[in-house]
Formats: sequence, structure tokens, C-alpha cells
Amino acid sequence: MKKIFLALTLSFVSLPVAPVMADSSAVGDISEELICQCGCTLTVSNCTHIECGSRGAMTALIELKLAKGQSSEQVIQFFVDQYGEQVLSSPPKRGFNLVAWLLPFAAILAGGGVISIALKRWVWRGRQSPIMATAEAGEQDEEYQHRLEEELAEFTGKGFR
Amino acid sequence: MADIGYIALLLALVASIYSAIAFVLGEKGRYQALIESARNSLLAVYGLVSLSMAALVYALVTHNFQIEYVASYTSRDLSLPYLLSALWAGNNGSLLFWAWLLSLFAAVMILQKRDVAKELVPYAAAIIMATQAFFLITLLWLSNPFQQLSFIPADGRGLNPLLENPGMIIHPPFLLAGYVGFTIPFAFAIAALLMRRLGDEWIITIRRWTLLPWLFLGVGNILGAWWAYVELGWGGYWAWDPVENASFMPWLVATAFLHSIMMQRRRGILKVWNLALIILTFTLTIFGTFLTRSGVIASVHTFAESPLLAYLFLAFIGVIFFGSLGLLYYRSEELKGETEMESLVSKESTFLLNNLLLVGAAFATFLGTIFPVISEAVRGVKISVAAPFFNQVNGPIFLAIILLTGICTLIGWRRTSVRNLIRNFLWPLVAALVLGIALVISGIRERYAIIAFFFCSFVFFTILYEWFRGTKARHRMSGENYLAAFFALIGANRPRYGGYIVHIAIILIALGVVGSSFYDAEKEIALMPEESMTINNYTLTYDNLDSYETESKTVVTTTLSVYNRGKLIGRLTPEKYFHRSYDQAVSEVAIRSTLVEDLYVILVNWDEDGTTAFKVMVNPLVSWMWIGGGVFFLGGLVAFWPERPKLPAPKQTEARK
Repeated sequence: MKKIFLALTLSFVSLPVAPVMADSSAVGDISEELICQCGCTLTVSNCTHIECGSRGAMTALIELKLAKGQSSEQVIQFFVDQYGEQVLSSPPKRGFNLVAWLLPFAAILAGGGVISIALKRWVWRGRQSPIMATAEAGEQDEEYQHRLEEELAEFTGKGFR
Repeated sequence: MADIGYIALLLALVASIYSAIAFVLGEKGRYQALIESARNSLLAVYGLVSLSMAALVYALVTHNFQIEYVASYTSRDLSLPYLLSALWAGNNGSLLFWAWLLSLFAAVMILQKRDVAKELVPYAAAIIMATQAFFLITLLWLSNPFQQLSFIPADGRGLNPLLENPGMIIHPPFLLAGYVGFTIPFAFAIAALLMRRLGDEWIITIRRWTLLPWLFLGVGNILGAWWAYVELGWGGYWAWDPVENASFMPWLVATAFLHSIMMQRRRGILKVWNLALIILTFTLTIFGTFLTRSGVIASVHTFAESPLLAYLFLAFIGVIFFGSLGLLYYRSEELKGETEMESLVSKESTFLLNNLLLVGAAFATFLGTIFPVISEAVRGVKISVAAPFFNQVNGPIFLAIILLTGICTLIGWRRTSVRNLIRNFLWPLVAALVLGIALVISGIRERYAIIAFFFCSFVFFTILYEWFRGTKARHRMSGENYLAAFFALIGANRPRYGGYIVHIAIILIALGVVGSSFYDAEKEIALMPEESMTINNYTLTYDNLDSYETESKTVVTTTLSVYNRGKLIGRLTPEKYFHRSYDQAVSEVAIRSTLVEDLYVILVNWDEDGTTAFKVMVNPLVSWMWIGGGVFFLGGLVAFWPERPKLPAPKQTEARK
């Protein structure tokens, strides 16, 4: 019974058992950069679906090409030629794709610029304000003690600090 | 039963539309009776949607397979907890659960006693009821969970085996409660805009109503990460999948909101920004639902694709986003304030920066998530944007956020002098530096990891230092012992100290992320029985392969003996499940977890000659992520917990008696 079952599951498991023989770190790095083509949306290194027919084949190809002396770039380019750019787990840093890579940082820098201008203006306005200009209270040595007193006294903020 | 559920939904739709209209008319014409009637309708919506959900639960539990939903997601052999969890296993059921949660939150909101922002309640309730009506329409005409089959199947298809995990029972409800909960603060914000009541009252009212969904969403995400780690079998916990991103984005923006409302409350600034943030948070929650249910972007989480549902959600997102921003623009003159500040070096500045970075991280995540669609539209080229992109772009942003967390803890409101800065930062900085040097000496060389560990320890020490000084001051003033003083300190300002506990949780989670990202080891190897493999300090010997049958599946199980530096420390049994009702085999990974690292073994496949392939990983510090999740929940609860009502001061006359 057990043998029949194992035969059954083996027929289900279409993949041959393929031990990784090539330089596993290079294989691992390349399989991080490629999307598995079984529809799992994961990278080749992360896909562990037993029915996945593509991970084993892709890994075997990576190993074969590395063993033939191809560089990582050449191996990756081979897959891009085969499947198109969408086989890459992240868009290559060139052309229109730079929008995805750079826009978040550009937006943060622009936001930082706006904040710094606003802050300077607010501080300038604060210095003009007669109330603040006179309230040049020195640093309090017992800052925490004061904060504590303030908290004990000011308890009307609906739990809001 | 199906009819009862459907009719209840239909009546709930009528009641919600009536309630929304009656609230608006009642408030406009000051008809108290109409408002009362709208209020009763809102409660009736809760009752009706509850009835409808009870009907579906009853159908699930009693195996009423004539209902398509029951037949699609359950089977006779499913245990009660998973039968109940089938409520949110499919699109239609989860939408019903969504509608029920919204009606529940609405009922709690309307019954809540409040002494501020009472005037905002009718409009807020009208907006909630309008949202409720949208979901009810979707349920009734596009995603009817009570759809009946023309025949009664003998058994159902059963739950997807990947969903048969305790995570299924708690992860989706937390996440959905998070999504739904943001409707309440959004509704109050819009009510404040509509009624021109743009002061602090809406902010005071919604702080807890924001904290709660934010906490649910955060915990939901952590539970999802844990579930992915133990169940999906790829050795990771976060794949930056579009749907994971969809639940992370509103959480990031809501985090920014929770910080920036403190600025409005304390200093009366950022009124427009706060409104914009809560509008964005709510829009992102609906966007997340759209992503999950539209099939626009490929994801492991998607429910069945439905173009009509996608268009409906897209239209809803458009109305919410552009309508709300339009209203905000229309009111912008009234929101202008004369902001004044004393110094650039102040908590205000650090809060502004943290807001920028949190929203920046949400934007980066959003852009990465939708970039495949943009690329196809602009260049006609399909591309993929997976984890490596998000790690590279978000990594530095998160590092900066962590650093700011430390700085803003010790910097005061309004202004901070150089002397104060030195006094506050010296010891935490020294402690973090000592720890950093110790890490370098102990052999840590990865630049990114060293920076991250240094920032994390700096934040941790700043919080400890803040607690230490606060406790000391309290001890000195009140004479309590240090432990009592510490707990009294936290109790006296739960929002602040709850927040600090959450910061510690984030540090713990960051430790887990950094440890497992930079110092993980992985090997994939094929072994014959009795053969061994070595990874880091572990040696694993493959003992045997076996199989057994259960009622619903065949289990292939392997046993490996695990040795650490030559000493047997236990046995691991990675397995594969072959469910009879599902084509997809499921990996049951074997994990040996310690505080230092996890040994994680996946059974990949096997051959007739006995050769068996395993993927073995060592993931350092992962446990700290789950501990961090617990601390996060605790901190959130401390910040959320309502304060004890103050005892009225004794009257003078009574005192004299």
C-alpha cells in the first residue's frame, strides 16, 4: 500500500530530485533576482511548491550556465531574453524604471525641502511674536520634575498628550 | 436560512440609506426626533447585519451545501473553528463580515457617551451609514454569500489546506477589523469639514478610534507574517506581496497620523495635514480591499477576480479620495493658522520628519505595488516588482525612521538647548556605541546590520533612560519605591508610555528583520537515509521517510535527527500534505526555535531510490519578531486603555461635617 502511494505521489511530483551542486551562493543570488514562472509570484529561491515545474528547471539552468563559465549577468540576461523583463524580481535600474527607484527618494527630499522652509518661517514668526520673545525662560534644571507636576495637574486632555 | 440572510441584508440596506438621509436632514433642520429615528435605524442595521451573518454561520455549521459559499469553502470533515473561519475564507463571506464589523463599530460609536464633539455625530454617522450602504449593495448584487445552487452537493470542496492553520482563525479578523475601523475617524474628519468645526474636538474624539484599528491592523500584519513563516514554507515572513503591502500602507499613514495629531493638540498646527492623512488612510484601506478582490495585480492572496466588483470599488475610491480632498481644499482658508515655533531643534521638527518618512515609506510601497501596471501602460512592457525592490528602497527609509524614534523621545516640545541635548543624549549614545563596538569585535561586519543594530540599541537606551529619569523623579517626589514609581509613571500618562512600549516593540521586530535578513544561512540538499548535512553549528541526519493517512489527506513525513556541535538536541519532522480535495500539496515545515535562531527545515521532494531533497535554513533572531508583536499589542493596549474617571473632589461642606 505504502509503495503504491509513494508511486502515486511520485507521479504527482513531476520534478526529479535535483541536488544543488554548483556554487550555491551564486545560484542563490541569481535565484533571488528571478521570479519563478509557476505563477506563485515569488522569487525562484522562495518558491517551494511541490507541483512547481519551473523552479527545478530554472535552478538547473542557472547551475548549468554557471558551470559553463557564464557570469551572473549573462545568466540573468539569458532568462530576460527567454521570458521578458518580468522575470526579474526587481525592475532594472535604467530608463523608465528609474521612476520607481528614485521617485520615493525625490519625493522625500522635496517634502524635506518644504518642511525646512515651513519650519524656518514658523521659527521666524515665533521670534517676531511678542509673547514668545519675552518668554525667554531658561532651561529648567529639574525638567522631569516639572513635567511630572504638569502631568499630575493637567489631567483634562481626555488621555491626550 | 439563505432567504433570511438575504432579506436581512436587503432590509439593512434600506435602513442604512434611511439612516444616512435622516441624520443629514435631522441635523440640518434640527429635528431631534428625526435624528433619534436615524439613530434607531443605525442600531437596526447592526441587528439586521448580525442576523444575516448569524444565518451564514448557521449554514456553515449545519453544512447547508445548497448555499454555494458553504459548498465552496467547507466540507463535512472540517472542525468547528475552521467552519467558523470559513466566514472570511472567501470574498463574499469576508465582505459580509466587513459589513457586520462596520455596523458593530457604528453601533458602539453611536451608543458611546461623549462630552466633546457631540455635534459631529449625526454627520459622522451619516457617512458611516453611506459606507455601510455601499458594502450592502456590493453584497446584495455582486457578492451574494447566500447564492444557492440548483442542487445539493453531498459534500463541499472544503477549506484551502493552506488556510487550515490557527492563523486563519485570528489573522483575517484582526486585519479586517483594522481596515473597517478606520471608517470611524474618517467619518468624523469629514463631518468636521462639512460642519466647519475644525478645532480639536474631532481629533480628541477619534484618537482612540484611530488607535484601535491601527492596533488591529498592526497585530493582523504580524500574525500574517507569523502565519506565512510557519505555513507557507518558504522560510520568510514578509514577501512584499501586493496584498501585504495593501495592509501595510494604511498602517504606515495611520502611524504618521497618530503622531501628527499630537502636534495639532499640543501646538494647534498641521490641521490640513491631519485631515489629509486620515483621508489617505481610509482611501488606502478601500484600495487594499480593491486589490484583494479585483485581481488587477497578481498576488498570492487574491480572491476570485470580478471586473464589475473592481470597477465598483474603483469608483468608490474615486468618490472618497477626490470628494474628500475637494472638500478639504474648499475649507482650506478656514484651516489656516498662524503657526509659530521657537526653535528648529524641537520635538515638532522630529515629528514633522517622522511624518515625512512614514508617508514616504507608504508612497514607496504604493509605487512599487502599482508599478507593474504603470510600466505596462507607459512602455507596454510587463515587469515584476518583488521583495528585492522593496527591501532596497524601504530599507534606508525605515532605518531613518528608527533613528528619529530615538531622537524624538529625548527632545522636548518647543525648544531644546545644546546643554539639554548633550545631557539627554550622552548616556544612550555611549551605551549604543559600546554595544556597537562590541558587535564589531564579535565579528559582525555587514555595514547595514551594524548601522541598524546601533540605531536600534540607541532607541532602546533612550527609552530606558527616559523611564529611568521619570521613575527617579517620581520616586523622589512621592517617596514610592522604584517599582511602584515606575508603574505609577506609566499609569499617569498611558498614551505616552504606551507609545514608548510600541517603540520598543518596533525595535524588537527590527532586530528580527535585520538578523534574519543579513545573517541567514540556507542550504538545499538531497540526502539518502542515514546521510548527514551540516549548516552553521547544526548537523542533520536524515533518518527515514514514512507516510500515513488521515480522514482528509495523506501525509508524507520525514524525520531528521538534529545535532548541535555533536550533541543530539532533538528530531525534526518536515512533512508534505496531499489533501484529497485539493490539487496543491502543502508543506508542513519543521522549526526548532530559540531566542538566538530558528532551524527551519522544508521537505522539498523525494525520489524512488530514497533520495530526499530538503531545504534547510538558519534564521537568526526571528523569535524576537514574534516577541515584538506581543510587546506591540501590549503597548497599543496601554495607550488605548481608557483612563479611570476622576473622583469628584470632596465638597467643602461635607468635609466639615
